[in-house]
Amino acid sequence: MQLQYFLLAAAALFCIGVYGLVTSRNAVRVLMSIELMLNAVNLNLMAFSNYLDPAVIRGQVFTVFVISIAAAEAAVGLAILLSIYRNRNTVDMEQFNLLKW
Amino acid sequence: MNLAEGVQLVSFIILTVMMLGAALAVVLSPNIVYSAFLLGGVFSAMAGLYLLLNASFVAAAQILVYVGAINVLILFAIMLVNKREDFAPVKYAWTRKIVTAAVCGGLFLLLGTTIITTPWAIDSTAAAGDEAIYILGEHFFTDFLLPFELVSVLLLMALIGAIVLARRDIIPDSSNVVGQDDLKLPEKPRELVSAGADGESS
Amino acid sequence: MDVANLASQLNVGVILPEGIVILTLLTVLIVDIIRGRAANAITPYIAIGGLSASLAALCLQWNIANPVSFLGSFNGDPLSVVFRAIVVLSAAFTILMSIRYVERSGTSLGEFITILLTATLGGMFLCGASELVMIFVALETLSISSYLLTGYMKRDSRSNEAALKYLLIGASSSALFLYGVSLLYGLSGGETQLGAIAANLTAGGQSLGLIMALVFVIAGVAFKISAVPFHQWTPDVYEGSPTPVVAFLSVGSKTAGFALAVRLLVVVFPLLADEWHFVFTVLAMLSMILGNMVALAQTSMKRLLAYSSIGQAGFVMIGLIAGTEVGYASMIFYLLVYLFMNLGGFACVILFSLRTGTDQISEYSGLYHKDPLITLCLSLCLLSLGGIPPLAGFFGKIYLFWAGWQAGLYPLVLVGLVTSVISIYYYIRVVKMMVVREPQEMSDAVKNYPKVSWDAPGLKPLQVGLVISVVATTLVGVASNPVFTLAIDSVENSPALSASLAKAKEKSAIAVLPKDSPSLEVTKVASAKL
Repeated sequence: MQLQYFLLAAAALFCIGVYGLVTSRNAVRVLMSIELMLNAVNLNLMAFSNYLDPAVIRGQVFTVFVISIAAAEAAVGLAILLSIYRNRNTVDMEQFNLLKW
Repeated sequence: MNLAEGVQLVSFIILTVMMLGAALAVVLSPNIVYSAFLLGGVFSAMAGLYLLLNASFVAAAQILVYVGAINVLILFAIMLVNKREDFAPVKYAWTRKIVTAAVCGGLFLLLGTTIITTPWAIDSTAAAGDEAIYILGEHFFTDFLLPFELVSVLLLMALIGAIVLARRDIIPDSSNVVGQDDLKLPEKPRELVSAGADGESS
Repeated sequence: MDVANLASQLNVGVILPEGIVILTLLTVLIVDIIRGRAANAITPYIAIGGLSASLAALCLQWNIANPVSFLGSFNGDPLSVVFRAIVVLSAAFTILMSIRYVERSGTSLGEFITILLTATLGGMFLCGASELVMIFVALETLSISSYLLTGYMKRDSRSNEAALKYLLIGASSSALFLYGVSLLYGLSGGETQLGAIAANLTAGGQSLGLIMALVFVIAGVAFKISAVPFHQWTPDVYEGSPTPVVAFLSVGSKTAGFALAVRLLVVVFPLLADEWHFVFTVLAMLSMILGNMVALAQTSMKRLLAYSSIGQAGFVMIGLIAGTEVGYASMIFYLLVYLFMNLGGFACVILFSLRTGTDQISEYSGLYHKDPLITLCLSLCLLSLGGIPPLAGFFGKIYLFWAGWQAGLYPLVLVGLVTSVISIYYYIRVVKMMVVREPQEMSDAVKNYPKVSWDAPGLKPLQVGLVISVVATTLVGVASNPVFTLAIDSVENSPALSASLAKAKEKSAIAVLPKDSPSLEVTKVASAKL
């Protein structure tokens, strides 16, 4: 087993997340894509932690922080989504164009 | 390659295929509910990968927080905004998708090259394994004490903020004329656009 | 590690100012719970009292013997003290101007202040964080509370939309930043302290991995300081958010972003100094050009200030790129000046929109005849933002351009000069509209202008904040020398920067001395005169 395998898997997941972030029209799916990107980062950190820092495992600590903050971010994101849905009755990203220059 | 390594490799391959396949389906599936359930699959496969990386505590946390909290939250959100919505087609959506896919492919190649060419300083000390949980605890109360405490403030505030934004207000929406300007910016919108903006009130 | 030993290593005293902010936050929350709506009369003052106490504690922290606390998570050196003080000041002014605004919109003031204080806390910790996990947590504390503040007017779809855009763009940029950070963790072989990472990276030399990490990290930092092309969120978010929040975002959040840039880029990437200097030069030029050009076409005052703040961030970046002692010091000086003039400007905009319910620039015409005080204050702040001589903004710009010129950044300084002339045009346009118009040319909003009175609850604090910032804008210009000395002191006494400063000195010695050493003397004499 090699470090590179894990890193490549993380990179692939990250790119899928970026793709979803740009192309999704449903705001909930955009939030999911962000979660995918954060998970890719977590996998990166865990792989480094296991192969480069196996005794001190700072990467695992970092991952725990990322997980907890991702939860907070998801909660806030969905709260904002609910309030916008209540006013506009849609979650289509293309419809959110009140603010344009 | 001995038996243990073989098993590890096979389970790595299975988990990765599961994770990437589910992730692709999350992004591409036309039905948002399927996406949400498949996202749970991504998170679970990820927990399996953490086990392969000798991190049982983080794997458990991943299942508890990601699958148990975030994924359930997303499902609730989908239920609450439950409107079967056919998005109006946008011009050039296909070109945009193809361009994005090409950019992401390029990004992956770039990251892949980086990962393969970099000489990582592999440390061959035995992994902490099951000791990891003690080491984590020690970290949280020594060199990571400050971020640990700050996260508690952050979570408290996210809780308050999410409730403030998501709760329904006591002011009735339609009948009450006085309440109409409440909870809005005092500035008038520049022009009256679409349904949501009912800003003209003197 | 026994307890006594641990306590001395934690060195908790350094984060006393932040501790005071946390206590204030909890007090506000509890008072708000106990007294309900009636608490609105006291919670803002509790918050302002707490922030003042925190500011006083920061003054006491100046140049303490042992600034490193929490085993290296946090560094309370004078540089961070200055940045933290700017963040605290911006929060205090924001609270002064938000009391009336939030009350009128019918939302709860206590929760608004709680979230704002949390954002302040995140910003303060970000200014001194010197460890990757701490940087990430502080950054997210600041960002998540900013998203909440942006969406606080939840019945207004503009506010909702601004919050959603800010959240999605912000969260994706922080994911990119985090990917870069994870690469740093790996490249340094498992270190999270900035100093240790820098040491390990130097051993490894330049590599593709390091460049990728730099690119991702810059994406995160540039988002926070809203440098073009990472600025797309700024105008939308500024237009849709409650105006006091915009004031905080444009000053407090941006200051924290600059502190992060100084600490992360300067300390961790000395190997790639040329590369990131180049990237930032491009970002600064684009920000100055695009920010100031697009501002010309704006019709809404909030959007005008949004684009002007993008341009101003470009000016501040000159100091960062110069990388010399004077460069960093002029950056701090400009941020301090920018705090007063920008918040003063926002106070006027808030007051005007509270009285007339609009922020269209055309509606300001003829305001002088109805309300001379606002006209005077807004004119002073806008002229200072444009850099008209006796005011503070002029001196801030002079210091920045000088620092850039000394460091040999001629194209950058030239672009800065040209765009600041352009910026004067659109600031003066507003001033002219308010002052010069005849009474019959007044806009409808001004014709129906209510009688000027400061009696309504919450207007007095707004007036106090307005007057203080306008006075500071005028006075700091005259008394710029001691403030600038303070900024220089803070840079000199911060060991984190010393390595890069030594390098910059070496470089400038090679570049300047053989050709024309007198020129350096001339500029020194000239700056002493100022």
